[in-house]
Amino acid sequence: MKKFSHLAVPYIVWSIIMLLLPMLLIVFYALTDSGNAIINFSFTLENFRKFFTDPDFLLVLWRSLSIAIKTTVICMLIGYPTAYFISKCSQRVSNILVLAITLPMWINMLVRTYSWIGLLSDGGVLQTLCKILGFGSPQLLYTEGAVLLGMVYNFVPFMILQINTSLAKMDKSLLEAAADLGANKFQVFWKITFPLSLPGVISGIALVFLPAVSSFFIPKLLGGGQYFLIGNVIENQFITAGEWNFGSAVSVIMAVIMMMSMYLVRYIEKRNSGQEKEKKV
Amino acid sequence: MKKQKQPFLKILMIMMLIFFYLPIVFMIVFSFNSSKSLTHFTGFSTQWYIKMLNNASMMESLYVTIIVALIATIVSTIIGTISAIGLSKSKKIVHDLIMQINDFPIMNPEIVTAIGLMLFFITLNIEKGLLTMLLAHIAFCIPYVILSVMPKIRSLDPNLADAAMDLGCTPWQSLIKVIVPQIMPGIVSGALIAFTMSFDDFIISYFVTGRGIKNLSIMVYTMSKRVNPSINAISTLVVVLITIVLIIVNVVPLLKEKRKTQVTEMKQKKKAPKIIAGALAICVFIGVVFLGKSVSSTKKYDGQTLHIYNWGEYTGENLISDFEKKTGCKVVMDLFDSNEQMYIKIANGESYDILVPSDYMIERLLQEDMLQPLDENQLDCLDEISDSVKGLPYDPNNEYSIPYFWGTVGIVYDKTKVDEKDLEKEGFNIFLNQKYKGDIYLYDSERDSFAMALKGLGYSMNTDDEKELLEANNWLLQCVQTMQPEIVTDEIIDNMAQGRKALGLIYSGDAAYIMSENEDIGFYMPKTGTNIWSDALVIPKNATNVELAHEFINYVSSYEGAYDNSSYVGYTSPNKEVMIDLSKTDYQGISAYTPIRQNDQDEVFKYNAKTRKILSNYWSKIKIAASNARG
Repeated sequence: MKKFSHLAVPYIVWSIIMLLLPMLLIVFYALTDSGNAIINFSFTLENFRKFFTDPDFLLVLWRSLSIAIKTTVICMLIGYPTAYFISKCSQRVSNILVLAITLPMWINMLVRTYSWIGLLSDGGVLQTLCKILGFGSPQLLYTEGAVLLGMVYNFVPFMILQINTSLAKMDKSLLEAAADLGANKFQVFWKITFPLSLPGVISGIALVFLPAVSSFFIPKLLGGGQYFLIGNVIENQFITAGEWNFGSAVSVIMAVIMMMSMYLVRYIEKRNSGQEKEKKV
Repeated sequence: MKKQKQPFLKILMIMMLIFFYLPIVFMIVFSFNSSKSLTHFTGFSTQWYIKMLNNASMMESLYVTIIVALIATIVSTIIGTISAIGLSKSKKIVHDLIMQINDFPIMNPEIVTAIGLMLFFITLNIEKGLLTMLLAHIAFCIPYVILSVMPKIRSLDPNLADAAMDLGCTPWQSLIKVIVPQIMPGIVSGALIAFTMSFDDFIISYFVTGRGIKNLSIMVYTMSKRVNPSINAISTLVVVLITIVLIIVNVVPLLKEKRKTQVTEMKQKKKAPKIIAGALAICVFIGVVFLGKSVSSTKKYDGQTLHIYNWGEYTGENLISDFEKKTGCKVVMDLFDSNEQMYIKIANGESYDILVPSDYMIERLLQEDMLQPLDENQLDCLDEISDSVKGLPYDPNNEYSIPYFWGTVGIVYDKTKVDEKDLEKEGFNIFLNQKYKGDIYLYDSERDSFAMALKGLGYSMNTDDEKELLEANNWLLQCVQTMQPEIVTDEIIDNMAQGRKALGLIYSGDAAYIMSENEDIGFYMPKTGTNIWSDALVIPKNATNVELAHEFINYVSSYEGAYDNSSYVGYTSPNKEVMIDLSKTDYQGISAYTPIRQNDQDEVFKYNAKTRKILSNYWSKIKIAASNARG
C-alpha cells in the first residue's frame, strides 16, 4: 500500500505553491516598504509600528474583537437550546429541522445580508413593528446592533449544526443510566449532556468567531460607510488606498491573533478531553 | 422521550425559523413589488424579473457562480480524494507538514487567504479573471475535501488494498474498486462542503477576480449601494433553484426508500451525482438561454468583447444593450466607486478598453503614461460636445479624452429641515453646525471631502500647502467627531430622495435625480466656490480592442446614447443638444441639472502626487475616526 504515497506528490507541490507561498508573500509585503512593485525593496518594521502606535487602529481592532466575541456568545446562547431541541425531536422531525436550517446557508450570504437592509431601513417592516409595540421608531440600519444582527444571522447556523451533531452522536443510554442512578433532569444535563456536547460547542465557537472577526461586507452593508472593523481596514488599504505593505501588515496581525485564539481553543479542548479521560481512569 | 414538555424550547425553535426565513420571505415578496421601494409594497408586478432577464451582466454572474462552483467541486473532490489517500500513506513528517499547510485556508480569516492569493497572482503576473478565480476556489476547496476524506481513510483496514492486490487487482483497480467505495461517504460530504463554500464565496472571489468576471456575491456587493429590486429578483431565482436541487436530493431518495427499503447505503452514494446532475441541468438551461441570445445576424463586431471600467449606476438603462445590438459585440462592464479604486486596478496591469476617470485622475494617468491618444479619424463626435467641457486643463486639446458627464459638487438639502439662511451664511461650514448634528451625509471620496473642507476654510482646493491641508484635516475630523455624519457613496441618492436626513455633500447630477423624485429637496453651491468636475472616456495603453472602444465613444456621445445616459442617470450631458432638450423636459426647473454659474472661486481638480499621498492617508484616518466616534 506504500505505493499510493506518490499520489500525494502533486498536491504537495500544489499546496506549497498555492497555499504556502501566498502566505509568505503577505509576510514579505508586511515587512517591506517597496510599494506595490517589488523590484526594489528594503526590510522594515514601520508598517507594524504604524498600526500599534495609533490608538485609532487599536480601537478598531478592539471593536472587531469585541463584536466577534458578542456574536459568538449570542450564537452560543441561542444556538445551544435550538440544537438541544432539535436533538430531542424524533429522527424525522430533526432531519427536517436540520434541512430547514441548512437551506438558507445555501443561499448566498451577501444576498441574505442585503435583504436585511430593506427590513431594517427607516420606515421598513421592523421599524414599523417597533412603533406598533410602542418602542418609538429607533434607527435600526447603520448601527452596531444591525451589524451584530447580521453576524448572528449569518453565523448561528454553524453553531447549531455543530452542537447538534455532537448531541446526536451522544450515547442515549448514558442519560438513561444517569436517570436510573437518581440524577434529576438538571443534573443529567449538566453532568452528562453538556460535557459531552462540548466538542461541538468548541468547534461551533471557532466557526463563528473566525469569520466574525474578519468580516467586512456585513459591517459595510449594515453598518454603513462609517462603521469600520479590521476587515474593512484591510479592504480599504488594498482596494482604495493602495497601501499594500500596510494592508499586509494588518492582515498578518489579524492572522496571528486568529491563529493564537484557535490554538487556545484547541488546547482547551484537548485539556478538557484529557481531564475526561483521567476522570474515567 | 418527552415531546411536548418544553414549550420554551419550542417557541425558541419557531422564532429561530422565523428569524432564518424572514429575510428570505421579505426578499421574495419585494421582488414582486411594483415600485422601487424596499419598505412599502405598492402592488404586484414582474417588472424586476424582466429587468433581471434583460440585464446580461446579472445573468452572467449567476452563470459564473454555478460554473465556477461546479468545476471547483469536481476538480477539488478528485484531487482532494487522491491526495488524501496518498498523504495517508506518506511519511509522518510529510503528512504532518502538508496537513499544517492544508489548514491555512481553514484556520486563517478568509480575507487573509484572499489577499495572499491576490498578491500571488499579481506577483506572477497572471491576469486576474475567470482562471484565477477558479484556481483560488480549487485552492480553498481541496483542504475541506481532504479534511472530510481523511478520517474515513484512517478508519480503513490498512491491509485492504494489499488484500485486493493479492487477489489479482492492479493498484489502480484496488484503488477504484476497493478503497474509493469504502470512503465514499467522506468524499460525498467533502464535495458538498466544497460546493457550498465555492457557491457562497464572496471575499476570495472579490480579491482575485478581474476583467469583469463576477459571481453573484460580487455583483450584489457592487450594486448594493442603491436600491435595486432586481437583486431581489435574482436572489429569488437562486432560492428557487437551490430549493429544487435540495428537494431532488432529499426527497427522491426518501421516495425510493419507501419503495424498496433495502440498499440504504446506495442513498448516500447517489446524492453527489444527483446534485451534480441537477446543477448541470441548470447550467445547460442557462447556457441555452445565453446561446439563444448571442446567436444573431452577422454584424461588424460579432463575437468581439469590449471591456469597460465605469462608475456604478452611471449608464443609461438601455445604453449597453442598444450598443450591443447595434454593433453585435458583447460588453463587459466593471464598476468602481472611486477614482483611486480604479487606479489601483489599472496600475496593476488589468486591461480594459474604456475607462471613465475624473479630471485629476486623467491627469495622473497621462503623467504616468497609461493612456493612448484617441484616433481623430475614428471619432465623429467632437462637434456635438458642448464647448464648456471641451479643452479642459487636464487635456487641453481633447487628444486623450471625450467628456462623459460633468457637473459640480454642492450641498443637497431638505427645504423643510434646513434654514436656507444658514446655507447662505455658512456655505460648506454648515457641516459643522451643531443644529444639524446626526442629520448629515458626507461623501466617501477623499478629494471631494477635502475640497469641501478647503473651500469652507477659504483656501484653494488645489493647495499644496501642508499647513492648509492639516487645517482641512482638522476641519473634517471635527466634523466626523462632533456631527455624527454618515459617510456614504451612492446610498445618499435613495436616502435623500426619501428625505431621511437634512443635508449632504453631493454631485450635481445626483442632486438633479433626487430633486426630480422629491420636490422638497434643494441644491446649493456655496459662494466660496466649489469643484467643477468632469468624467471622461479614455482608452488605456493596454486596451485590446481599440477600434471598438472608439465606436463606443462615438455612440455614447451621440444624441441617442447621451440622451439615454443623461435622462436615466441625471448627470449633465456633455452633448449640447441633449443638455438643452433635457433641461426643458425631464429636468425642467431643476437647477442642479445645469450647474453653470459665474464664480471665480470655482476650480477644477489638478493632480499632485505629493498631496495625493497626504490626502489619502488623512482620509483613511478620518473614516476610522468617524467609526470610532460612533462606536
